[in-house]
Amino acid sequence: MSQTTPTAPDGDVTRRSFLRTSAVLATGLAAVAASLKPLFEMDDLPSAEQFMQKYYREMTPADMAVVLKRISNEVEKQYGIRPHVKDYKPMDGVEFVYALNLTRCIGCRKCVHACVGENNQSRNPEIQYIRVLKMPHGTFDLDKGDHNYAPESVPEKGFFYMPVQCQQCHNPPCVKVCPVHATWQETDGITVIDYDWCIGCRYCEAACPYWARRFNFAKPSIPKDRLNPEMSYLGNRPRKKGVMEKCHFCIQRTRAGRYPACVEVCPVGARKFGNILDPNSEVSKILSTKRVFMQLKEDVGTNPRFFYYFDV
Amino acid sequence: MNNGGRTSLVLGALAVIFTGIFAAFLADLPGRPAPRPLIPLVDKSFLSTATVRISYSDLVKAKEDLSDFDCYGCHQKSKPPVLTFDENQKLIVPKAHRDIVMGHGSHGRNNNCFNCHNENNLLVLQPRDGRDLKFSESTLLCGSCHGPTFRDWEAGVHGRTSGYWNRDLGAIDRKDCVNCHDPHSPKFPSRAPAPGPHSLHESTAAPAAH
Ligand code: HEC
Ligand code: HEC
Ligand code: HEC
Ligand code: HEC
Repeated sequence: MSQTTPTAPDGDVTRRSFLRTSAVLATGLAAVAASLKPLFEMDDLPSAEQFMQKYYREMTPADMAVVLKRISNEVEKQYGIRPHVKDYKPMDGVEFVYALNLTRCIGCRKCVHACVGENNQSRNPEIQYIRVLKMPHGTFDLDKGDHNYAPESVPEKGFFYMPVQCQQCHNPPCVKVCPVHATWQETDGITVIDYDWCIGCRYCEAACPYWARRFNFAKPSIPKDRLNPEMSYLGNRPRKKGVMEKCHFCIQRTRAGRYPACVEVCPVGARKFGNILDPNSEVSKILSTKRVFMQLKEDVGTNPRFFYYFDV
Repeated sequence: MNNGGRTSLVLGALAVIFTGIFAAFLADLPGRPAPRPLIPLVDKSFLSTATVRISYSDLVKAKEDLSDFDCYGCHQKSKPPVLTFDENQKLIVPKAHRDIVMGHGSHGRNNNCFNCHNENNLLVLQPRDGRDLKFSESTLLCGSCHGPTFRDWEAGVHGRTSGYWNRDLGAIDRKDCVNCHDPHSPKFPSRAPAPGPHSLHESTAAPAAH
């Protein structure tokens, strides 16, 4: 015995150093675990079902029914409201066009907020599809536009107002750059986004010349009493953190034959919407009778379905 | 000090540091980014699709007070009201009608009450062609002088059409001229704008002067 204790360091040191090392390791691990605390508070990770979901255009109606049910359940769980989620399809013989009368617009921003309400955009942080630029008369240089104007009343002398939103281009650069085909143009002209397919790389945001795409940097928040329960898959169903969104001409309204929310709320009647393939629609009449109209940044070749015009 | 002693010292110190870090994280000492100041919800008035003006037809539909339109509650059928003018030939609106601000056209070019009302029957409107129109048909009155605008309106180009762009799927509601224009002073009123955008990286400072 006396032989082993002090002079045989091996066994003793091994045990002691093992204990010491493990104690240090344990505290180290605990520290790392504690530092990861915020990760465990994440509550909007995709469910397994969503993760296994098929690509939109490969889904059968039965697949879609399952997906819509999952979305309804998720919305109900989060907001306590059972929504009506549908997958509205484009109508035959319909191509949407928007026309906005710059002689009328007074810059009141009601369209901005009607859109937020209709389309379940996040209120905190704020996501808005429409940006209204206050422009000095005599220029179309968007850089001269100011979107933070806050006078007592509008319109202000010497300025006109130009609301800008997704221009629903014939030739959308945002679609071309999407590495996962999560955004595409449908037959009625609406460029849509599948929020379940979007990976949040924001290439489309960079590609858009109109600054029309918005990214959910944070978890969107919508007060329960302001949630719009009439939802569409490619439209206004609630989004998650990390995906893109933008104006989709209120798919849930327009593909059911109704006007978009921004048209309905405009107090001056500056906003016109309809089917350009129907010669009697308002937009057909405007494009055939108004002498002065234009597309924004015509020179970049996007060929928008959104026209600005003047009354003369 | 021998090797073993130094090791224990280092490991002991490490353990203390790690415990410290552990406690710090648990107590959230490094802190989270300060929560963004909450952006107030927009006032519901900005979400209303109501037009700026309530017309006679709206009042009828809503079964509201129509006493303003009960002309013969005050006037007498046998005595058409007499228009009064000041020395500049500017029409004077009598006190009894002081809620009417007259200013139709530059220089009040169309201020004469009987350009629109029928002096012999105040309960109807009368365009220049002499036919009588009910108050609910005022848009035709406007159209009698504003032909091009009226044709635009009929095509849905001037004014606002609500409801269904696809007429097979639902009805439309085309707003009357007097839903947006006061017939007596038709210039569209200016109004307070809804709040502007709040940026993502907003500081605690309030959004531009409110
Ligand atoms: C509350 C009572 C009252 C009602 C209701 C009323 N009026 Fe009058 N109105 C008056 C009085 C008082 C005058 C001034 C004296 C006069 O000319 O009879 C007047 C004057 C007028 C005048 C002359 C204006 C001028 O420049 O002198 C017209 C036109 C007129 N009224 C039209 C109408 C019409 C149209 C209606 C119904 C839509 C109506 N009034 C309802 C009380 C009324
Ligand atoms: C008897 C003809 C006549 C009738 C009826 C008429 N207006 Fe006018 N309106 C005019 C004239 C004249 C002007 C002035 C045009 C100008 O100054 O260049 C005018 C101007 C206007 C303007 C331009 C704003 C302004 O004040 O200059 C508006 C808006 C308007 N009318 C709306 C209406 C509405 C709405 C109605 C129906 C309730 C109506 N008008 C009925 C003759 C008429
Ligand atoms: C441009 C046409 C026009 C002229 C000019 C005009 N009115 Fe009217 N007036 C109308 C119309 C249209 C209505 C119905 C408005 C509605 O539906 O809200 C009306 C409504 C009224 C009413 C009932 C509602 C109210 O606002 O009190 C009175 C009273 C009235 N007018 C008096 C007058 C008098 C007095 C004058 C002249 C000083 C006059 N009007 C000039 C078109 C006119
Ligand atoms: C949805 C609201 C709305 C309706 C409905 C509406 N207008 Fe207007 N109108 C406006 C606005 C906004 C302006 C531009 C601001 C202004 O000059 O007052 C305007 C301008 C006008 C002008 C001035 C000339 C011009 O084109 O700028 C006339 C005239 C006019 N409207 C007549 C009518 C007539 C007639 C009707 C019905 C047939 C009608 N409006 C219906 C909102 C409306």
